[in-house]
Amino acid sequence: MRISIREQMWNLSILGLVIALTIWRGNQLPVFGSYEIKTILLGIVPIALLAMGQSLIIIGGGINLAIGAEAILINCITAKYSEGTDFATSLKWAIIGILIAAAIGALTGWIISQSGIADIVVTLATSFVLIGLALFIQPGPGGGVNLDFAQTFSGKGDSFLSPLLVLFLPILLIWLPLQRSRIGISFYAIGSSKDAAFLSGVNVKRTRILLYSLGGVFAGICGVSLTAITQAASPFAVISNTATLNSVAAAVLGGVSLAGGVGGLFGPALASLVLYYIPTIMLGYGIDPAYSQIIQGALTVLVVLVGGLLRSRGKR
Amino acid sequence: MVSLLEISGLAKSYGSVIALRNANFTVLPGEIHALMGANGAGKSTLVKILTGVIQSDAGSIKVNDAEIRFTSPDNARKNGVAPVFQDPALIPDLSVRRNLRLTNTDINTFQENIARLEISVDIEEQVSRIELPILRMIDLARALAHSPRLLILDEITAALPANLAETVIRVMNEEKKNGNSVIFISHRLSEIGEICDRVTVLRDGIDVDIFKTSEGDEDRIVSAMLGSKISANRSQARSSGNQNHPLLKVSSINDGHKLKDVSFTVNKGEVLGVVALEGQGQDALFEILAGERRAQSGEIDFNNTKVKFSHPSDAIKLGISYVPGDRKTALLPQRSIRENLALTKFRQLRSWSCINQDNEDTMVDKAVSNLEIDTRASSQVKRLSGGNQQKVTIGRWITTGFDLLLCFDPTRGIDVGTKNQIYQLLTGLSAQGKSVLLFTSELREIELVCDRAIVLYDGKIYGEFDASICDEELLLNAAHGRSS
Repeated sequence: MRISIREQMWNLSILGLVIALTIWRGNQLPVFGSYEIKTILLGIVPIALLAMGQSLIIIGGGINLAIGAEAILINCITAKYSEGTDFATSLKWAIIGILIAAAIGALTGWIISQSGIADIVVTLATSFVLIGLALFIQPGPGGGVNLDFAQTFSGKGDSFLSPLLVLFLPILLIWLPLQRSRIGISFYAIGSSKDAAFLSGVNVKRTRILLYSLGGVFAGICGVSLTAITQAASPFAVISNTATLNSVAAAVLGGVSLAGGVGGLFGPALASLVLYYIPTIMLGYGIDPAYSQIIQGALTVLVVLVGGLLRSRGKR
Repeated sequence: MVSLLEISGLAKSYGSVIALRNANFTVLPGEIHALMGANGAGKSTLVKILTGVIQSDAGSIKVNDAEIRFTSPDNARKNGVAPVFQDPALIPDLSVRRNLRLTNTDINTFQENIARLEISVDIEEQVSRIELPILRMIDLARALAHSPRLLILDEITAALPANLAETVIRVMNEEKKNGNSVIFISHRLSEIGEICDRVTVLRDGIDVDIFKTSEGDEDRIVSAMLGSKISANRSQARSSGNQNHPLLKVSSINDGHKLKDVSFTVNKGEVLGVVALEGQGQDALFEILAGERRAQSGEIDFNNTKVKFSHPSDAIKLGISYVPGDRKTALLPQRSIRENLALTKFRQLRSWSCINQDNEDTMVDKAVSNLEIDTRASSQVKRLSGGNQQKVTIGRWITTGFDLLLCFDPTRGIDVGTKNQIYQLLTGLSAQGKSVLLFTSELREIELVCDRAIVLYDGKIYGEFDASICDEELLLNAAHGRSS
């Protein structure tokens, strides 16, 4: 299978931007070694995972405004029930958490398919429900996790191998095989043209349920990684809302078309690095982080504008 | 001989609209069977049921004498029925290869069929970058790769250049020799006799005639499509407009796709009818005249001045009002009749000033009583019947005033009583010296309402007729590109 040239170009441009920003950030730091890389990776793992889940759903023609809330809920569930437990129990709850997230996703997809209500409305509503549930389970910041389990995710000492694996294993194990399968092609198909997909023999409803469920899996892994990295839960709507919006921004920056049917998961994963670097670099200059949001927003609009221009030129 | 496909008593309705009443249809093994019918006769509904896109309300489908129900397009394909639709069912953002993967089509078999169709295709190419005629051929090759016993070709020759159309016909005959069958749907009557073995004609959702092409000619198809002639009573004596005062003059309009060198004139106080089968470029023509779309070349003169529209408001300012075919695009469905009627009037007000309520009231009341709009459901236009909605879309322009009204199939899907009211409305307007350009899919309306009619065929003006000599047979023949 050949990735479209446009997608490759987009990924390369984002990669270039990431490299430039990495050098910039590297120059800010007195030393740039294994520990610094680990810090960066730990900073982007949750947002990158969420961006991948969101991208998947956007590729399939939907959007999930509850994806941040899904992650926060799983964060709360795993942190609450893993506190003070052994490795096996923590692992068990991590798996349960991911399965719950998948189930929530499937339910969301089912509601959208059955009701015919727009994705954006259904998921906005579920985001409130999920944050409410998270507060119910974990009324305030707290919880914890088995330390060994946490270190499997976040790495011991200076080694950045673990977070790197957490970032890339889902892509390697879920996305790469899926992309080549008929199911993965069906995701693109329903995102690109529902009618043509239906005529090609795709079960649109079932595919959409699977799509949201898989998005849920990514949100679940994100929730577990939050538990492992912070060793606590924070049931705040602000965090989940920011995370959701960042996931959409990363998807768009990463070359996923909001119209559906176009894009991949590598681009958004890279783009989440950009979203991480901007506030960090600005903070390095002692600039108020509030300003970095302006830059981040402006950059997103700029990239989408340039991308749109390139696309319309390509069509002519 | 056991028939390959046997359909009996098939019925389907959408809400209160009956698409198929009682359709019977058989296809024998090794035959090319034409399915004919005027717009709205039920052809496309029948095809959709046969391909598993929709399910019938009643009736049975038998394949090789075994009763079957097609539950999805995939299911139909597995049962040996493969369709090629007018709009190729290919995913635009995916490559050809991945599209094939989606339908579980074997690449090698596909490539063999591509070779058979004498075209070359890069299967890694993204579908949205491939031209429509080639996409149709790809869709056909994909259908053939599933070795169907029954191939359904819906208007496949319509957008194909002559050489590709010939190839398609050759392949159809090859399939026939191998004992497979083809259902062939085409607006080009001349093709039917040459290619097909038998013809089934649908009218109003019922099969009205079935015969061998060796036993009947094109005239038989046309008369079956028309049915018994309804004697038309012209609502009133018609003035045929003022020949000396052309209002709109269109010269050599091309839209770059379908329309080719279209020229005609609309006189003051005249209703000019436009007759065309589906997809002959009429939508583009109306959109160009309404300023919604730009012509690639050609000139439009209005009131003896050359005009160029870059926005619908340019056309409206000059006095050209457009009533589109889809009422839903013209109306604000959630708003009241009042607001919908007054909508076009708001344009005349200063942008930031308040709307004079009394003024609006008088105007709206006048329009409602003039048009006899049923106001029982006045709070939301979407709750009105189709006919009353249509009256609102026309009525809003009457309240603002115009010189030329572009009406696109205004009576589609509305009841007879309201139709008559709309006819009277249009003829009344022309009596007041207004001009109307009316596209209609109901040929009877030409005689009833129009002064003259032009026929579009394949994007070109096929002919111009005086409405007094326009019977349906003449128009239908002309619309199919043949002289009677």
